[in-house]
Amino acid sequence: MSEVKAVLAPGGDPADRGEASRAKPRRWSGIGAVGVVMIVLALLPLAISGSYYMHVLILAFVYVVVSSGFRTISISGQFNIAQGAFMGVGAYAAAIPAVWLHWSPWVTIPLGAVAATVVGSIIAYPFARLRTVYYAMGTLFLGYVIMNLITAGGKTTGMSTGLGGVQPLFSNRTHYYYLAFGLMVVSMACMYRFEFSRIGVRMKAVAQSHQVAASVGIGERRNRILAVAFGSFFTGLLGAFYCHYQGVASPSSYGLGATLLIIMYVLVGGLNSFWGPSVGVLILLVIPEFYFRDLKGDLPYVTAAILLIIAFTLPDGIVGLVNLVKNRIVKRLGRGGLPQQPEGEVRADAPGD
Amino acid sequence: MLLEIKGLTKRFGGLKAVGDFDIHVDEGEIVGLIGPNGAGKSTVFNLITGVLPVTSGTNMFRDRDITRSQPDQVAALGIGRTFQLNPLFPEFTVLQNVTSSFQLHPCSSLFDIFFGTPKYRRNERFIREKAHEILSLVGLSKEANDLARNLAHGHQKMLGVARALATKPTLLLLDEPLAGMNPSEIQYSLDAIRGMRDNGITVLIVEHNMQILSLCDRVVVISFGEKICEGLPSEVRANSEVISAYFGADYVC
Repeated sequence: MSEVKAVLAPGGDPADRGEASRAKPRRWSGIGAVGVVMIVLALLPLAISGSYYMHVLILAFVYVVVSSGFRTISISGQFNIAQGAFMGVGAYAAAIPAVWLHWSPWVTIPLGAVAATVVGSIIAYPFARLRTVYYAMGTLFLGYVIMNLITAGGKTTGMSTGLGGVQPLFSNRTHYYYLAFGLMVVSMACMYRFEFSRIGVRMKAVAQSHQVAASVGIGERRNRILAVAFGSFFTGLLGAFYCHYQGVASPSSYGLGATLLIIMYVLVGGLNSFWGPSVGVLILLVIPEFYFRDLKGDLPYVTAAILLIIAFTLPDGIVGLVNLVKNRIVKRLGRGGLPQQPEGEVRADAPGD
Repeated sequence: MLLEIKGLTKRFGGLKAVGDFDIHVDEGEIVGLIGPNGAGKSTVFNLITGVLPVTSGTNMFRDRDITRSQPDQVAALGIGRTFQLNPLFPEFTVLQNVTSSFQLHPCSSLFDIFFGTPKYRRNERFIREKAHEILSLVGLSKEANDLARNLAHGHQKMLGVARALATKPTLLLLDEPLAGMNPSEIQYSLDAIRGMRDNGITVLIVEHNMQILSLCDRVVVISFGEKICEGLPSEVRANSEVISAYFGADYVC
């Protein structure tokens, strides 16, 4: 082994040094961009206080987290169509004790997150036997069953009209805005850490080949359950927050309808990139509500057109397109191009990660 | 005895893929498991590593019963393996393929990983260093940052070996390591396998290619799921049952 060490000793091989020096500026520009967006979002209520726009942004924060939760589960190879139902589990687990037992929202919101995690993990156990399209089909029916069970709860759950009178957290919308913003920042930070650490590497390994993963000690079932538990925690958290914000837990806000929105956001933004779901929410939710409200009736057609264009031409979504353009420009400038992988690359081995 | 398998049987419905198969591997040996196409060689591997459930029989590894263990548990006990086909994570780079395979030694807890504790960072640094070492051992240093799916077939196979080495195995199961390799790659692989043995790794090889015989201390021949012969390479070569299994009874002089 001594001659092996000699080869590696002086600062690693050249290819590796190149990677490291390229990675540094990208990392800082990324942190800078996120910082700017966060500052803008934190100051925005000063400009748009109390308006409809603030409601749109609160909704957007909820969907950013829930869609990112969907994507977090998907990096382990699970296309969880029951995501909207998990959101509903969180919402009803918060709403029922809040309405009937008058528990404080500060208790019921975490309770919603825990309930979604527990339900998600229990369900993930048998579902870890299913893969690819069979998993998707299974979770599709599962979500349907969960929502039916919820609405079948009689007076306790308010049936198909929903459970009204969920006590509000605040009287002021700005407070809701900051709570939603805070929940989003924390959730996204946790999910980022989850994906870009060794845990995420395990998930991606399982997704690529469960047999090869098992042969190096990465158990498929264990890791898939972990991914679902982690993703549904934040899904349930924001689901519970959302029902307290709305003041009502209604089946129409959750379940399959919500799942469809989530999948749209994720696919348009880019399934293979951490920021994909956020970009999807920006393009399909925030921008239309901000600038094209008078188009309301025609909006479904525009959305459909966007979806079809993405499906046929941009398998990696908008973020994939951005990366592609960025790569072209860098190549033009003669700096040899970025690494081939899109932003979702595995960087567990990044120095100082 | 490192690995001891007794009366291993596997039925797929009415079809008996492996019947009453015995094999043992001692520490420090290179044992070859050879046989014609469809003889059940890879099935034996999958039964040992828990990929397929065993119908009957017992697998003992270091005096521990691993008959009903899951594949990841078997790996954790120290049995590494390679695959005949698709032996890697195609969307990872070569380096990531190896670093991601360091799950067991050293092992960071979920807490350490999530919060990026100093222990986790230390482990990751160590893993990176070790991964580079392993890559240069199998001759893939130059390809470290290429996507694994872009590798040539022979290199993919070597990467499979590198991945298995990352688990720090006591016993390494190689599934047709020479299949689809050119003569110079074969020579390189043979040397590499010998080198692993010299580093204290016991090796069990499934192979078609008879060149492997030169490497083995002992050879077990399997045909139609049953052991037909066992012995030194030279004995096996001369055995008439082996010749008839490979070439048909007409060729036996």
